[in-house]
Amino acid sequence: MNARPVNVSLPKKASVVIVGGGIQGLCCAFYLTTFGLRDVVVLDAGYWQGGASGRNGTLIRPGFGGPEWTELFKLSCDEWSQLSRKLGENVMFTKRGYSMIAERAETAAMLGRAAGVHRDLGVHSYFVPQADLPHHLPAINHRRVAATLHLPDGGVAPHHAAMKGLRAACERNGVQVFYRTAVTAFERTGGRASAVYAGEHRIDAGSVVIAGGGHNLKLADLAGIRLDGYSMRIEAMALEPIRPLIKPALALIDSLAYFHQTSRGEVVGGTEVPERPRMSLSTDLPVMAATAKVYLEMFPQLAEVRVLRHWAGMIHVSSDFGPLLGEHPDLKDLWVSAGWSYGFAGAPGAGLLLAKAIATGEVDRRMQPFAVDRFDRGKPVAEAGIVLAKN
Amino acid sequence: MPSRSDDRQMVEFHWNGHPLLGRLGEPIAVALRRQGIGVIARSRKLHRPLGQSGSYIAGVLARVDGRPNVRLDLEPVGQGMRVEAQNVWPSARFDLLKAAQLLPAKAIYGGFEHADWTPQGGRGYHLWERLMAHLAGMSPPPLPSLPSEIRPGRRVQYDTVVVGGGPAGRHAANEAAAHGRKVAVVTRGHICGRYAAACGVEQEAIDDRVAVFTGMELFGSYRQGALLVGAPHRYDQGAVAFDTQEIVLATGRRSIPPLVPGSHVPGVMEAQAALVMAHEHGVAPGTAVAVVGSGAQAAIATRLTAFGANIVHVGDVADLTRINGRVHVNSIDVGATVICDAVVHAGPWHRDPNLIFQTQSDGLLQLVSTGASGNLRVAGAAEEADEDVVVPANLSDDVLICPCMDVTAGELLMHIDAGETDPEVLKRLTSCGMGPCQGFPCWDSMIAVLASRTGQHPAEFARPSHRAPRRAITVAQAAGLHDVVGPDR
Ligand SMILES: Cc1cc2nc3c(=O)[nH]c(=O)nc-3n(C[C@H](O)[C@H](O)[C@H](O)COP(=O)(O)OP(=O)(O)OC[C@H]3O[C@@H](n4cnc5c(N)ncnc54)[C@H](O)[C@@H]3O)c2cc1C
Repeated sequence: MNARPVNVSLPKKASVVIVGGGIQGLCCAFYLTTFGLRDVVVLDAGYWQGGASGRNGTLIRPGFGGPEWTELFKLSCDEWSQLSRKLGENVMFTKRGYSMIAERAETAAMLGRAAGVHRDLGVHSYFVPQADLPHHLPAINHRRVAATLHLPDGGVAPHHAAMKGLRAACERNGVQVFYRTAVTAFERTGGRASAVYAGEHRIDAGSVVIAGGGHNLKLADLAGIRLDGYSMRIEAMALEPIRPLIKPALALIDSLAYFHQTSRGEVVGGTEVPERPRMSLSTDLPVMAATAKVYLEMFPQLAEVRVLRHWAGMIHVSSDFGPLLGEHPDLKDLWVSAGWSYGFAGAPGAGLLLAKAIATGEVDRRMQPFAVDRFDRGKPVAEAGIVLAKN
Repeated sequence: MPSRSDDRQMVEFHWNGHPLLGRLGEPIAVALRRQGIGVIARSRKLHRPLGQSGSYIAGVLARVDGRPNVRLDLEPVGQGMRVEAQNVWPSARFDLLKAAQLLPAKAIYGGFEHADWTPQGGRGYHLWERLMAHLAGMSPPPLPSLPSEIRPGRRVQYDTVVVGGGPAGRHAANEAAAHGRKVAVVTRGHICGRYAAACGVEQEAIDDRVAVFTGMELFGSYRQGALLVGAPHRYDQGAVAFDTQEIVLATGRRSIPPLVPGSHVPGVMEAQAALVMAHEHGVAPGTAVAVVGSGAQAAIATRLTAFGANIVHVGDVADLTRINGRVHVNSIDVGATVICDAVVHAGPWHRDPNLIFQTQSDGLLQLVSTGASGNLRVAGAAEEADEDVVVPANLSDDVLICPCMDVTAGELLMHIDAGETDPEVLKRLTSCGMGPCQGFPCWDSMIAVLASRTGQHPAEFARPSHRAPRRAITVAQAAGLHDVVGPDR
């Protein structure tokens, strides 16, 4: 296969070595350069865009159900809207709006509480009156909708554009990015992470960041640390392109579905089915069937549109589905950006905060609730506004 | 020309508003061809004319009675049908989008979606996005008045599922049945063995004990091949999930289009598609036909002659340097220029790798073939090794590698020469193979170009992931499988 042998031009030393070149790793690297760091290295075992960052639904929203998630994702969404300018590369983020839809009364009540949180934290959101639904989402099956909470500042960004822009900006700022280069070992000296190995090659590191997506638990094992959570695959699919039918990005909280229509005309998204969590990039039938069923019920006009492609990606989710963000309590200079289920939307915000913490030592208030040791401290973060099957 | 369909009832249908006559039940593409209409579709970005090629599905997609993306090579003509070209604006008769043909191919490298001239955010981007979505979408959504009910699926159990109803598939099915196995044959044709019949090959009758599923695309192989899924071409029928212990792939091989300029132009046809059309409908690929190939060209030409085709050239595909004609083939360059209105290519032959890939690949960083055959067996022509694709030494930048997404050899070479040699990454940078064909034959062409440029062998490159369902199944049919196949706990 064309897996490159360990690259001879790998450096011997770096101020920060980031393990994983998905959107989390690249965002962290980019923001590190904005804090003046230059010798940052990103190592990735797979190919560029081969992780979840190249396989996701690309939905971005600033608001969730609770204050912790909302504060972090509001920051991230703000960063998204400035990202093209900051990178000098077009990430094609489009604020076409993001609607959270409740089909049941209890869920509508949850959205009501979420709207309150949004108001308190300065996230713009409003309920779309049922009478306006035909205008807001003309094709939706109105009878199924109990409430629609709309976030006009949310939207989507094609992952290939985001990943391309990030990589280009990183490299322009001096970050060295290596794909097909797996990290195989971590070195610990005097209670700190001191180096990583890619095969025989050792890279001396000031700090190490684990941002390995679905592979985080394996990396934690290699580093000899404990990380909460489990790995699982999630699947998504694209329909054949048609001219615009659905404008905003959508999360159907009760159907466990999220989707949007891309600027290529494809409706892209997925649902969650309660399967045994597993590590695999292959797909199975139930997700396609379940997603199709949701489309059919909510957008009957899609009935005879054909399914183009169905794929899978892997993520690592924590017990409370929130990210694990910060320095590891058991190993100094080892940082993690892990546990991400909404890690595309959250990447610029998390990258900024993590970079700031690494570069300046200042742990931002907005990342504190997501500290790696929160479960040991009995402080999980409750969040009701997410679309994820509780396995 | 012999034609078994002459006695069929004539019906009137409409093409872009013009009334036309067709024979009831024949594919719309055939009816159009009888009327001299070869351009059915336009490529997504540069509006290059496309037609029935037997290789690229984008060339036969049109809107039929308010339903987008209907395959005209499969959909039968019906009385009063309204068939309309897609990707036109404001109308097919007065299509301003054709102006896109004037753009240089380089302008859309990277796709109009991630081109550098896209505005960055703000109102400019919003307007741009709207325009882009309109262009890329090709056709308005289905009419709300179309049926929207679920098409309930079925789950069936067979010891052996044979994909392909040609001689090898029949033989494998009969043999398994003779051993007392419960066998199903699935074929996309409305009858089994259409290509073999067109070639005049004697085929053994299928054992009565074998269940035959015709008009069905077997598109999915899940759980290492233990669960197969097929969807009928007809919109009103449900999909079928097969639990099985053994799959036999007898799907034959297809010819890869020649890597010369003009290979996407209407009038260029894959040999099987051309022969089947001539045999079943009495429609020759053209009035003056050139046949090129990797060895089978003479036999294919002889067979086409038997159906009344006038063959003007038979030669090695390696000697073909260019196919001329803007909206339809008018000549080819094979050392000399030969006037012709059709080019049939008969090799190099490759098997469609999709189902094998789905069954046998795995991985956590990338899906790659595990090499384990599991419960999968390949029979007949599909068993033979892929032939080398001829990449001309002076490969022209203009050759379309993926006509559906307007990816040219020039665009691929730009990335390859910049050092990007990973097929998965090339796919993401160019969208090559992301259209309705989903990577066959375009990834075969892409990898051939890549191998030739880097001096490696095509087999050294991992293919991009082949995925289901390649537009074989509708949302209503997929939804109909929901209660049939539960999660694998
Ligand atoms: C189908 C699907 C839909 C989704 N939809 C959304 C959505 O709409 N919105 C949203 O915000 N999020 C969504 N997500 C989640 C989101 O994609 C992820 O949370 C996010 O991409 C995680 O980014 P990452 O950089 O942490 O991980 P990844 O992108 O997975 O990157 C991790 C990288 O680590 C590398 N790696 C692994 N092991 C090693 C090693 N030993 N050495 C070096 N490198 C290694 C891998 O090769 C990989 O490239 C979705 C995910 C999936 C799968």
